[in-house]
Amino acid sequence: MKKTLINILKSIIFLLLLGLAILAAIVILKRKDSDYKYTDFFNEAKKDNIDVLFMGSSHVINAINPVFLFEDYGITSYNMGGHGAMLQATYWELKEALEYCTPKWVVVDAYMLEKNIRYLDNREEFDDEDEVNTAVEQLHLNMDAWPLNDLKREAIDDLIQRKSVKNEFLYEFIIYHNRWKYLNENDFKTITGTAERNHLFGAEMRYDVELEPEQHPDVTEADLLTEDTVGTEYLEKIIELCQDKGINVVTTFIPFAAGVKDKAAAIRAGEISEMYDVPYINMLEEDVIDVNTDLNDRSHLNVVGAKKVSDYMGQWLSDTGDLTDHRGDDRYAYWQQCVEDFNEELDDVLFTEDNLYIKLDLLCLEDYNFVLYVNDGSPVFLDDYLKRMVIKSSMTNKIDTTTGPYILVKDNSHDKMYEASEGDSLSGMSTALGTLNYQPVEHYFRLLYSDEDQDTNYLYDDIHYLEDIQLIIYDEDGEILEHDYYKSNGTNYVR
Amino acid sequence: MQLVSTEFFIFLPIVVVINFIIPRKFKYIWLLITSLFFYASIDVKSAAVLIVSIALSYGFGLWIEKSKQKNAAGKASVKVLAFAIAVHIAVLIACKYLNFIEKTFLSLSGRLEDAVNLNLIATLGISFYMLKIIGYLIDVYRGDLIAEKNPLKFGLYVSFFPQITQGPIERAKNMLPQFNFPLTVDYDMLRDGLLEVIWGYFLKLVVADRLAIFVNNVYMYPDEAVGFTTLVATLFYTFEIYTDFAGYSHIAIGISRILGIEVMDNFNCPYLASSIAGFWRRWHISLSTWLRDYLYIPLGGNRKGTARKYLNIMIVFAVSGLWHGANWTFVAWGLLHGLFQVTGYVLKPVRDFCVNVFKVERHAFSHRALKIMVTFLLVNFAWVFFRATSISQALLIIKNSFVFTPWMLADGSLFKHGLDNADFFVAIVGLIIVIVTDIVSYNGFVIRERILKQGIWIRYVIGIAAIVAILIFGIWGPGYDSAAFIYQQF
Repeated sequence: MKKTLINILKSIIFLLLLGLAILAAIVILKRKDSDYKYTDFFNEAKKDNIDVLFMGSSHVINAINPVFLFEDYGITSYNMGGHGAMLQATYWELKEALEYCTPKWVVVDAYMLEKNIRYLDNREEFDDEDEVNTAVEQLHLNMDAWPLNDLKREAIDDLIQRKSVKNEFLYEFIIYHNRWKYLNENDFKTITGTAERNHLFGAEMRYDVELEPEQHPDVTEADLLTEDTVGTEYLEKIIELCQDKGINVVTTFIPFAAGVKDKAAAIRAGEISEMYDVPYINMLEEDVIDVNTDLNDRSHLNVVGAKKVSDYMGQWLSDTGDLTDHRGDDRYAYWQQCVEDFNEELDDVLFTEDNLYIKLDLLCLEDYNFVLYVNDGSPVFLDDYLKRMVIKSSMTNKIDTTTGPYILVKDNSHDKMYEASEGDSLSGMSTALGTLNYQPVEHYFRLLYSDEDQDTNYLYDDIHYLEDIQLIIYDEDGEILEHDYYKSNGTNYVR
Repeated sequence: MQLVSTEFFIFLPIVVVINFIIPRKFKYIWLLITSLFFYASIDVKSAAVLIVSIALSYGFGLWIEKSKQKNAAGKASVKVLAFAIAVHIAVLIACKYLNFIEKTFLSLSGRLEDAVNLNLIATLGISFYMLKIIGYLIDVYRGDLIAEKNPLKFGLYVSFFPQITQGPIERAKNMLPQFNFPLTVDYDMLRDGLLEVIWGYFLKLVVADRLAIFVNNVYMYPDEAVGFTTLVATLFYTFEIYTDFAGYSHIAIGISRILGIEVMDNFNCPYLASSIAGFWRRWHISLSTWLRDYLYIPLGGNRKGTARKYLNIMIVFAVSGLWHGANWTFVAWGLLHGLFQVTGYVLKPVRDFCVNVFKVERHAFSHRALKIMVTFLLVNFAWVFFRATSISQALLIIKNSFVFTPWMLADGSLFKHGLDNADFFVAIVGLIIVIVTDIVSYNGFVIRERILKQGIWIRYVIGIAAIVAILIFGIWGPGYDSAAFIYQQF
């Protein structure tokens, strides 16, 4: 009997140790993308620090940056957007989130309202196999972070049809066990709780520029979304959920190069919002962004677009939302730290970026002062896309009417902008570099100097005299942070 | 529910715990219930065929037994036996070989496109349990065994779940007495059985299923792997079929042991055999001994002259091939093995002559190694026919294997057929473990026993590491590929 008891005890110890080893393997091998996005959500929700939740798809992820909202308005928010998240996924995402916090406002974006796909793994409802795989795979990014409980089971039952796929969500080790070949340092840091996490409170910023956004016709009567879809059903459920819990809700349609179906969906979202007496902001119809410069691709905003949309929402929430400005409150020191970290990141992106289009776009975002010089005969004067970027800074069409040379001095420190073309000179420009003077002399030689330091010609260098574009970025103290020379190979600008 | 499934990992502990608790004399009832449940969970229709087969063979066994009593000399009726065997072979043909027969005839008349499905039902494991049944009937006929009167015990013999899908093809003489007096499973048996099961899962999930990815890819797109890549695929298949089949056998043997039933070994370092005959003494032992006892010897074995012996060998291997699958590729594989053996016998005087002339030391390591290598290569060659879907595909694979492209071993070509370099590395490590284990086992060193003699913490570390390694490195579930960003169904 004693021997039997000892054997049972030994078996129990073995099983416990085995369980621990398997648990460690599960934690290490799990894909971290979802944890990366939501770690700060759990941390801040626990401290009751979240006033606003932004719900929706990747449009939201790229359009709303909670760091901008905190920096400029003191609003504490979390971007809960999920890549490819249709409204039923957003609904369950919100239900999960409300288990951890009760925000003052929920902002829900109605993109994909017209989608009538009931289950994300139903192959018959998608155009091809890859779309199903992508939908399921993206749902993992939204769902993996939530702990296994009845709510998650309910969510997966509602979103996924096939039992085998459901199990992959409930017991993720089924799919992640062979991630061993992709393991890196961060995977092991999960054990110590020091793994990397998203410092933009769920947002992701993009830095490309869509140079040729598609233009689509306006919606006609025939295009209107009149029938109910799974999307409309779940938008209503989201609104009802918020209203049941006494949470303010506002619906949005974030801007992008929208197609006819999207525009029709945006109209229908307005009708639903009105039905529930909920405010609705259709940014497709508002002059919030410039689709020619603020898109990263057809559907998603770049960081400049994100800044504009975040500003728009920040202003709206500040005006309407009765939200407390948390700036300066020690309790929110982490938020301030994230602001500073993000600004550093933006600087890094700006100074390491080779692409002139993106660089000029980013200069609109940052407060840096800059001088842009384009020599006469440069292909820039034939490049409508780059000229569009310059016009965005200059706010004039001068570059559009000249073949050069062209100079733009944008000095945010003194809130001044100077511009000249062809044989025109500029003098007495009040800038952080000093009082600048500009004078074109000949094709390979021109003068840009300050009254305070007349020996320094900022626009001539023996080594770089052949490069046709110069970009000088300087700070408010007059220190030159970067002086780039670009050579145009057609419209390929090489730094 | 398969042996490799989540459901099975829930099912097995329940079966083991209850089997441990219930009184010995009732264990067989519990095991029969669980065996039928296990089989029905795979396919209910197949379970119906199984039950009918059990009922028929149970009745035939008693009938054969009764025929002994009617005979003055106490001999059983050969007619009854012949009828019983014919009935079971008819069931086997109806379930497995009708399509094959139809296609063979249609292809002779050039009307293959007219083929329709004639097989009555696709029944998993029917080839295995039919051999168990036929062996039982012959044993009763021969008087080696008294017909089992308890239909439940007989049903359990045929349907015992660890063996039902892939063997071993255990003899009734060994199994039935154990149902009457099952062993009490003690802690040592439990540990030993579990270790054997773990080893089986390692062979199956980590090695066999990983090699299968590469092999399947090359056989599916033979034109994209001409040269050494195909050669590597043929070698991989040789190990895939071994680790797959031996893996299943180890799982079945280990589970049986945990349930208090000792089952015969099925593999014994087959690729270390130094002759084809030796290979068959080590490969799928339960089948090769069955064929020896119930086919080769009744055909006359080697007692009726050399020519008849060679003919008997060819018949046995042709039947063996056909038993493995309803396709001429399997017959070709069997006949090749028969041919290897017959050629070996025919050339024996020549080989002896060479050994004498060159003064070869027969027991020298180099000579043994050479024989093992030649045997391995012959077996490897024959496996191509076993794996191929047609004779023409087999010939293409063989042709591709002989294209001289050694640079493929170094230029990354090997990583373009389903296994990236990390998976390839794991496959090679797995193969090294298998080969080393076989070599030490060949020399009488049983690793499992050595592990069990170690101190508790070493045993725990080995056990836990092995299970975790199987979970991580095993090929199961849909898999994850970060590069492709999609799920890969291996």
